[in-house]
Amino acid sequence: MIPVPSPPLYSTRPEWADVVPIPQYEKANPLAPILYSEEYKDATDYLRAVVKSGEKSERVLQLTEHVIRLNPAHYSAWQYRYETVVAIQWPLETEIALMDELADKYLKTYQVWHHRRLILTLSKEAREELAFVAKILQQDEKNYHTWAHRQWILAFYNDDALWAGELDFVDTMMNKDVRNNSVWHHRFFVVFQSGVREGEENRERVVRRELIYTKQNISLAPNNASAWNYLRGVLEFTKLPLSTVATFVTPYTVPLPENLGDIVDVENPPPGKGAELPCVAAIEFQADIYEEEAQSESIEEAVRLWKSLAEEHDTIRKKYWEYRIQQALLRT
Amino acid sequence: MYCHQLQPPIEFLIRSSARRLPLTSQLRLDFNMEDALPKFARASHAGHVNRCLSGLPGSQVEVDSARLALGFYCLGALDLLGAIQTKTSETDRASWREWIWEQQTQGVHGTGFRPSPFETADSATPEPYSDYDGPHLIMTYTALLTLAILRDDFSKLDRAGLLKFVRACQQDNGSFSIVPGNGETDLRTLYCAFCICDMLGDWSGVNVEQALKFIGTCRTYEGGYGQASFCEASGGPTYIALASLHLAPRDKDTLPLTREQRNRSIHWLIHNQHESGGFCGRTEKPPADACYSFWCGAALKVLGAADLIDAESHASFIATCQFQFGGIAKVPNEHPDPYHTYLSIAALTLFPPHVPDGGP
Repeated sequence: MIPVPSPPLYSTRPEWADVVPIPQYEKANPLAPILYSEEYKDATDYLRAVVKSGEKSERVLQLTEHVIRLNPAHYSAWQYRYETVVAIQWPLETEIALMDELADKYLKTYQVWHHRRLILTLSKEAREELAFVAKILQQDEKNYHTWAHRQWILAFYNDDALWAGELDFVDTMMNKDVRNNSVWHHRFFVVFQSGVREGEENRERVVRRELIYTKQNISLAPNNASAWNYLRGVLEFTKLPLSTVATFVTPYTVPLPENLGDIVDVENPPPGKGAELPCVAAIEFQADIYEEEAQSESIEEAVRLWKSLAEEHDTIRKKYWEYRIQQALLRT
Repeated sequence: MYCHQLQPPIEFLIRSSARRLPLTSQLRLDFNMEDALPKFARASHAGHVNRCLSGLPGSQVEVDSARLALGFYCLGALDLLGAIQTKTSETDRASWREWIWEQQTQGVHGTGFRPSPFETADSATPEPYSDYDGPHLIMTYTALLTLAILRDDFSKLDRAGLLKFVRACQQDNGSFSIVPGNGETDLRTLYCAFCICDMLGDWSGVNVEQALKFIGTCRTYEGGYGQASFCEASGGPTYIALASLHLAPRDKDTLPLTREQRNRSIHWLIHNQHESGGFCGRTEKPPADACYSFWCGAALKVLGAADLIDAESHASFIATCQFQFGGIAKVPNEHPDPYHTYLSIAALTLFPPHVPDGGP
């Protein structure tokens, strides 16, 4: 790669000759001093000067952009930039276009997303935003900031047009990676956490749809903690007992039978060919169903399963399973 | 010698509250002699953080707006290693204290600490802060901890100003922003505000009820907490949320969680321990990352369930994250940094592995 040449220092540019740079305050012997580059020192000296004089102009936007590119975590540069955008009525779509590039570049920086949010709050224009998020997620499908931004957009605008495509979006992402927990979480947010939208009023139908959706995904990939957590989440949220899915869970707690048969049961999709069984999450689920029954025989069954987890299937959590046994026995 | 002889994290030590987290971990007796742990490179880790304290290259400029936090991780690690007195000089400690106090700044929103003078204009005498070089809530929290590590007497602390600043950062929804006004808000800042109130023993600065409501909006169906309302459960925010619930003033000695909620949180946290022995931060998101050893482990500690962790395989994981020339990295074979070094050592302190006499 050819190194990008540094731009000329502000101290040598005639168009900045009217500004007197202000160096950084530094008296005591500093903790973890940073050996600043000449370019950074020069740019921030001029930033301090314009902040002090209160100048808000197009060249200040250039200066803050420069500082941000050198240090995207410079939250004061972001803050001053935001106030400059507002003061000079800078076109918000131009600002968002720049932010598209910077979000792509500094994906994991808090300030990139915060500034974007402030600008969107001003522009009240979110039509393109979900498409932008989808594009950014392509480079990092579990990026926390990006998902948080999507959830914020949906909650903040709360516009039916924005919500309308959300389940399809979840499906697209799920098809790429059924173990992407961010997608499962997002689905829960869309279906249960954000109110009831048109077409979703029949909650019984919605819950049935969610249970079938989850079971089908478990059937395709049984050892997927995200799906099992979602299953528990749906049941708990709708106050249904865990035993609601007992018939479905059982085949996942035992080794895969040699003859799978051709049973087509939408409510209870069986494990597919090549499934790695028994599935730890299913054994645990089954034990919880027994514990829920709270009869002495069922607790015995739960204890038997927890022991199998502690000793054979999930030994790293041995102490946890022993704790579960102890807790259950204490209550009976 | 292994790390069970380390001291507890400083943030638990300096808390003024009588309610303390349990610090002593039971040493286990089921340690397998054949799985001897690799050596914990105590001196090299001290060397790593000491190098960072003495200076950073220009490529690390992003640290500038969080430099006090970096100082906290470095000095916190030295403190946990019991090496503050032996690996730093009194001259250095005195100048660091002076530098940290230099970041305490006063102005219209009260008093707090800047991350560094990165945006402060040079002047002969300290001036009140402007809108752009004022105190930062997270940095204020780390400044107080670091001063405690450096055994400062806090005679320069502006308590009333500090409470005013914390109050100025609280938003209508109960959350806190990093700086008063438009700054980012999330659970990190709420935790820092709560810690400051707890350390000062004065909660008059905040609307606790509203803050607790905000924490509630961050809880997810998995049993963990997300960084902000509606976000996915993650290890960091989960520790932050549970520790904040623990710190909040309350009548009873139990956390404001139902039994089911507590069980669900323990379930989620303990399942984040990965087969490698380390912790993942989210469901189905391997590999384990050393920082989640602290976030998930300390969250379990708050719930009184840290003894459920497999401490031996955990210690083995951290051992593999040790960098050849000192410091601990997020995953094996990467470069170390003070953040992962401090959090790993703190995790080992919270749930030390059992080491038989004469072990490594």
